[in-house]
Amino acid sequence: MNKKNTIWCGSQEHSVGRRQFMGSVMAGMGAAAGASLFTHPLGASAIAQKGKSVVVIFLAGGISQFESWDPKSDFDTGGPFKAIPTTVPGIHVSELLPYTAKQMHHMALVRSINSGLDDHGLAVNLVRSGRTTRSATEYPELGAVVAKGLERDGFPLPGHIHTMPSGIGGRSNNASYLGPQYSSVAIGAQEGGVVNSKLPDGMTVTVDSRRHNWRRFANDRHRRVKQSAEMDAYTQSYEKAIQLMERRDVFDVSREPQSVQDGYGKSDFAKQLLLARRLVEQEIPFVEIKHEGWDFHHNNFEFHTHYVGDFDRPFAHFIADLAERGLLERTLVVVMTEFGRTPKINPGYGRDHYPDAWSIAMAGCGIHHGAVYGKTDDKGIKIVDGQVDHRHLFHTYLRAVGIDSSAEFEIAGRSFPIADPAVGPIKELLT
Amino acid sequence: MSDAVNNQDAPAFDPRAAKQIHDWAHTARLLACRVDPTGKFVFAGAIDYTIQRWEIATGTRTELRGHDNWVSTLGFSPDGATHYSGSYDGRLLFWETAAATPQPQRTINAHQGWLRRLDVSSDGKWIATCGNDKLVKIWSAEDGTLVRELSGHPHFVFCLRFRPDSHELVSGDIVGNIYHWNGDDGTLVRQFDLKEIYSNIGDIAPFGGIIGLAFSPDQKKLTASGLYKVSNAPAGGRRAVAVSFDWQSGEKLGFQESIKKEVDATMWRALYHPGGHMIGVLEKSFGFWLPGEEDLYHSVETASEIFDMDLHPNHVDLFTAHFDGHVRCTKLAAAPTS
Repeated sequence: MNKKNTIWCGSQEHSVGRRQFMGSVMAGMGAAAGASLFTHPLGASAIAQKGKSVVVIFLAGGISQFESWDPKSDFDTGGPFKAIPTTVPGIHVSELLPYTAKQMHHMALVRSINSGLDDHGLAVNLVRSGRTTRSATEYPELGAVVAKGLERDGFPLPGHIHTMPSGIGGRSNNASYLGPQYSSVAIGAQEGGVVNSKLPDGMTVTVDSRRHNWRRFANDRHRRVKQSAEMDAYTQSYEKAIQLMERRDVFDVSREPQSVQDGYGKSDFAKQLLLARRLVEQEIPFVEIKHEGWDFHHNNFEFHTHYVGDFDRPFAHFIADLAERGLLERTLVVVMTEFGRTPKINPGYGRDHYPDAWSIAMAGCGIHHGAVYGKTDDKGIKIVDGQVDHRHLFHTYLRAVGIDSSAEFEIAGRSFPIADPAVGPIKELLT
Repeated sequence: MSDAVNNQDAPAFDPRAAKQIHDWAHTARLLACRVDPTGKFVFAGAIDYTIQRWEIATGTRTELRGHDNWVSTLGFSPDGATHYSGSYDGRLLFWETAAATPQPQRTINAHQGWLRRLDVSSDGKWIATCGNDKLVKIWSAEDGTLVRELSGHPHFVFCLRFRPDSHELVSGDIVGNIYHWNGDDGTLVRQFDLKEIYSNIGDIAPFGGIIGLAFSPDQKKLTASGLYKVSNAPAGGRRAVAVSFDWQSGEKLGFQESIKKEVDATMWRALYHPGGHMIGVLEKSFGFWLPGEEDLYHSVETASEIFDMDLHPNHVDLFTAHFDGHVRCTKLAAAPTS
């Protein structure tokens, strides 16, 4: 076999060490403390949403809507895969999704997205921020907005987590004006949990506790003489890091019974879904799992056979598991991508980028289950009903978990609309 | 070019004198083509679920309907009377080759999922098929019953080929395995490993594998075709390649590819001219290799991507099936002098 080939779009794996991770967390927590001096809480409506979570599964590169959520069997644009029925009468998906089809009664589809941009990077900015922007940093991403919108006092874990197959990474720069405390932290789904988060060999809990008590004593003494927001932030970040280390088992998927691990499967994606379920159990506001490599300009049908196959069974198991545990009642799951793929099949039997008419899927809380919003024509070329874009979707995701997307964040004396005020959610999908 | 390896009985074969002599259009993309053993018809399998038949002498086209998905593979009984077709619908259909209004004579639900390739034994008694269910199946040409099911491939079986004048067959899969079977008793005789022409994209998707199989005219070589040197699979970065094995010893003899003329391509099919030249598909062109030579000595450009080809029984007319829906015929010989 040839050596493992990298996938088309570059991976954003952040395989760095504990020092960087802890440093990032601390920096974030420091900023969090600092920012908290200037931000006002969202109010009672946000408090009422405690415990809700959003899980985004980002199929990076652009999954084909034809080979997933909007099949067009028997048309020349449709490719060789047939449409199959689901648990919801009248809703069909690609035959490549036999397991997901059995969970459609927990799900909703949007088949009428026209987002306008066919460049990967720019399109990703759109769908992640819910804004029409060419900048990756002008607006906070969905994860940061959710982390802030569902923020809870004293919550010991990061509110915005991106999973990885393994390793650990620092914070990303994806929270914009909300501040780095809402940026994503990357955590691997490997056995043992967060890597290098155990106490060093020879360091007992008692000794470690003594160290921290000494630090606290010194801090308190100093604070009596001089107090500043920066120092408070520094102190908080230490305490947050300690809390994270104390909760390290949360991130250890090997603590699940073997039968549960087997149920999800052994793939990298499956392990990350299992980690996501554990994080949802802990009421972490936002978790994202990236499944990369969907940019099939060549050999689209063969590659979708394998990639959708890799997605289908673990994803369906994840939805069923959330439902069985009652977690789906307070969790919104979004299967996101940056655009669809062309109706036209190119000479390499691939499909190219197509932002004009594509689909996403959702499951869980706040949405009508078994619903389909929007419609494309017979060949999947044009939207014929219910055209929406990334901005409407952004509002819809937030509303589904109870965040008032028409509200504003007040930060440092300035007002920032939570979502694009020019549009609203897809009301027909919301409960 | 002089035909150094051509045998004396074969028609004059001169790839450098190649000239397109037929160009027949269908409206849908074509995946497969075969010329019937009598040389009267060329058949093409299309992604509109049809088979197109052209009478070579007149260019008259007839449409065959019976499949419910892309038609991926075609074949004939040795006498040419019966035509067989396979499709991504998993079915194997029997047809009367020359029927004025062709209808399926027999329908077999052969495979779960895509049926990828069929081949007919030299004695015409058996039809072998393979597919995404990882199985090779042998069917009776007489009554359509299942003769034998051969399991063992770990993944999708892309192609198969009967060894001429025998009931032995070889099958190749997407992860680079070639299995040599004894069709008479169903035993696996041996295995050829060709993992070099298989890649695993993102640890999720196998790419490449054994896409075509051919025996040399003297049956001393087994040749597998496909792709390798994958640089960016989802964007189509790869090189077409054929790899031959000594049939007796199983020794790998070497690679044949397009070295001087670099082109991203998959060798969807390699076949042998009776004189020993190998002809291989290279995207919009087809190339010619001398035995033992790594690089091609000549190639012929066409107007569209080629997904299959077949040589007429006259050994000089090469029919190609194209992405643009055309079947083209190129004469690989100098025009006769009057």
